[in-house]
Parts: sequence; C-alpha cells; structure tokens
Amino acid sequence: MDREIVERVARAAHISLTEEELAKYSQDLTDILDYFKILDEAPDFEGFGVNPIEVADVVREDEPKMEFDPDELLKDMNTYDGYVRGPRLS
Amino acid sequence: MTMQTVLSDIGSINDKYVMFNRFTEDSDPGDSKFLFSAKDNLTSKDFETCCGSRILEGYHPVFDATAIAKMRNAGGKLIGKTNMDEFGFGTFSANSGFGIPRNPFDLERACGGSSGGSACAAAVIEDHVSLGVSTGGSICCPASFCGVYGIAPTYGRVSRYGLIDYGNSLDKIGLLSAKASDLTRYLPVISGRDERDPTSCVQPELEIKGDRIRSVAVPKEAAEGLSKDVSEAFLNSLETLKGMGIDVEYVDMPALKYAMPAYYVLATSEASTNLARYVGMRYGHQDGDLSLKFDDYFTYFRSKYFGDEAKRRILLGTYTRMAGFRDRYYAKALKVRMYVIDAYKQILKDHDAVLAPTMPFVAPRFDDISKMTPVESYKADYLTVPANLAGTPHLSVPCGYNADGMPIGMQFVADHWNEDRLLTMANEWDKAFDVRKAEVSL
Repeated sequence: MDREIVERVARAAHISLTEEELAKYSQDLTDILDYFKILDEAPDFEGFGVNPIEVADVVREDEPKMEFDPDELLKDMNTYDGYVRGPRLS
Repeated sequence: MTMQTVLSDIGSINDKYVMFNRFTEDSDPGDSKFLFSAKDNLTSKDFETCCGSRILEGYHPVFDATAIAKMRNAGGKLIGKTNMDEFGFGTFSANSGFGIPRNPFDLERACGGSSGGSACAAAVIEDHVSLGVSTGGSICCPASFCGVYGIAPTYGRVSRYGLIDYGNSLDKIGLLSAKASDLTRYLPVISGRDERDPTSCVQPELEIKGDRIRSVAVPKEAAEGLSKDVSEAFLNSLETLKGMGIDVEYVDMPALKYAMPAYYVLATSEASTNLARYVGMRYGHQDGDLSLKFDDYFTYFRSKYFGDEAKRRILLGTYTRMAGFRDRYYAKALKVRMYVIDAYKQILKDHDAVLAPTMPFVAPRFDDISKMTPVESYKADYLTVPANLAGTPHLSVPCGYNADGMPIGMQFVADHWNEDRLLTMANEWDKAFDVRKAEVSL
C-alpha cells in the first residue's frame, strides 16, 4: 500500500503518523493485503450474514427509565454544569 | 491454597507471573464460595477497566458485565482483572499497554493471547476459574500455551453486555480453568438470555445431559505446518481417543484456508468502528487541550495512547471498509464466513466434532516473538480462527508436553449450541490424560 493511501486512511481514522511509522505501516499493510489476496480465489458462496448465528429482532416497549445515576456516569468525565466538555467544532 | 492464602499472596503471585492488571486488596474471602478473575475487557464496578490499552487508563465502569454479575450472584469473589493484548489485538498477550503475563511453565515464554492473564491465573492459582474472551482464538490459544482447559461457547451463548467490543460479530465470553469440571460447573452460570444483548436471545437452553463425542473429524489441512513436537503429541492423542472408543477420521476441509484472511478483514473492520469512540472524551484519558479543533483533539489522543498493533488494525480495518475496497474485502469476507460455517455443518453431519491441534507450536519465547512480522503473527492463529469465524463452540484440552516440558493443546469444535458434548469431552479427557501442573513457587 503506498504512503499516500496510508496517509489518507490514517487521516480518516484520526491517527497521525510519523515518517517512520508511515514507512512501517505502508510495508506492513502491503504484506497483509498480499496475504489477503487468497480471498479472491474463494468460491462465491451464496448469501452472507452479519452474525454467525441467526439473530432475531428483539424489541421492547419504549419506556423511559433511569438505570444509572447520571452523577455516577459523569464522575470521571471532564464536565461543566452537568455537560461533557469537548473540543471546538470549528 | 485456601481462598485466604490466595488473597494474602496475590501481590507476590502477581509480581512473579504478571497475570493481573488490577487485583483486590481485600484479603478476606468472607462468605464467598469461590474466587474468580476476569479479563480486563469485561467491565466491573470495583476495578478500573482498561482493556490492555493506555487510552482507557482511569476508566471506572459503573456497572458489572453480565457474566461477572452472574459469577458474583453464584457466590464468586472477583479477585482481579487479567492482563491482555490491547483490545484483544494479539496472539501472545505481548501487545499490552500494561503488564505482560509470564508462562507458568517457563517465565521467558508467553502465555498466549489475548486472554493470557486469564490462562496464567487458571494455571497458577489453585481452584481458580477465569473469564476469558475469544474473538479469533483468545481463549483456546492461551489455554493451550499454559496447559489448562478453555472453552469458548457458541456466539451468543453468553451475554456480551459489559464486554468492551473488539469485533462484535465475533466476540464470545468463555472460561479457563485447570479443572475440566469447572467448565461444566460455571458455563451454565454465565450462559443465558439477556435482553441487554439481543444476540444472546435466540439461544436454546444449555442442557447438561452428558452427550458424548463419539467420532471426530481431523481436517487434513489443519495437520499441515505443525511443529514436530505438536504433531507428535497430537498423533499420540488420536491414539488415546481411539482407546476411549472414539472414531477418528481424516477429512478434507478446503474452506479452512480462507478463514484467516476473512477473519482479519471482519475483525479489523469491526474494531476500527468500535474503537472510534475513544477520542479523549468520556472514557480514560481526558487531559487534552480543549481549545483545539475536534479533529486535532481526537487525533492527539488516539495517536498518543493507542499502541502499535492497535494502530495497525485500525488502519487495516478503515482501509477494508473504504469505498472502492469494501466489496473486495468486507463483503467477500462475509460470504467466506458463510462458506466456512457450511463446511463445518457438512462435516458435523457425520461427526460430533472437528479436531485439530490448538496452536501449531508451543508457547514461544519473548525474544522470538519480538522478531515476528505482523503476518507471521497473524498466521499463528490459523487453527483457532475458523471456529471463531463460524461462531461454533470450541474447547482446548492439554494433550501433551514437549521435551522442554511446555504444554501442547488440541481443540474440539462442535456444532452451534452443542457445548454439552465439549463439556463431557473435557471431563472424559481429564480421566484419560495425565495433565501436569506448572510448578509454582513464589
């Protein structure tokens, strides 16, 4: 995989890479994708599932409930006035 | 070792074997009926939960994972959270942001991964059961390397509520113990439907009827690439099985060769989305500069706190899901998964289990692991990955020891929801084979 693609993928994944890491992961991903080429030879099996077993839809009544104390949930978070603090959007 | 002794000595045990990331300081077992540990990707109220990753350092869950809650309700005392590869990304538990567990049979060797700390605890601490998690072999691999029993049940058998996702279509919670009977004792405890995990709600009840495995199929493809000591131990074990009245037949299973790449495509695709939530807000480290734009803020945390293998798998999974590549990799891997499931189903029409060695070699030395390339490391999983991709239950039992005394394991794979046969097999094998304990000294 060439460095430009690795840079694009890393940007999408919110990971910044040093020049050394860029070279290393370019080589690693090239080797790994070479190994994956065997998938091209696999029979085109009919159908696919997102899970290995059949998963039935399970629905419940949409009833509001408070399972956890919000203060407990927020205790380790960076908060202001009960809100989670985050970085600038723009 | 009484429960009191274990609790008193846990610090010195951990100094030597490094199985725990966090452990209890409470030396009183109280009314507890048994002690257990849990892999550090299962949330627990009383211990920081880090999943082997620095990015989660400081995360204190406010709830117990269902499996942990059920073990506590059965009278268990959680004594520690076990070391693991970061988010489960590894075969040797060496990709950890914290401690790297040491093999009880040779401290210079790995415990296997990614539930390496759990396998180590099961091997070292008497009468101990540990909750492990398998995505691509993370229970059976360390069970094999540490000479203990390990079972990964059918996908959906044990609720994943409170399990920090790696690959959510692959993750399964199971058990590791030096005692075969512990698997039969505790699997019913942690199994069952849980409305908080819909994938657990389709399961038939786990019935312990004592159904036996009467015939096993050994894929010819799985007997390739084995080290000499593993091959010899496995062949000897086949003779032992025959002596137990079990039919052994070699079969062709060409689907196996596609399982590895399909697994890594699905696992990393799912991991790259599951790990998108770790951005320096809500969990773990949150000490960044909030005046930064969000892209830069998120990138700062993820670059600083994710380890090398986590970055590699996030990059790989992001790539295989990208427009233009998705059909070639992700969509194809989903089809291959069905092909592998079908291959198991066809063989299991005529046999009760598929059998192969668990790992192609014994636990490697840490200095050898450091020389392995990523592809070499991934390929080590080729025997454990297929059953995990298929979501079929699988059991590793100790089946031999090499000239250095290192344990060797073999893995039985049964059809979906047929854990009963595996549990019976574990108990029968325990009577037929002389399982060695690691010599433990502090």
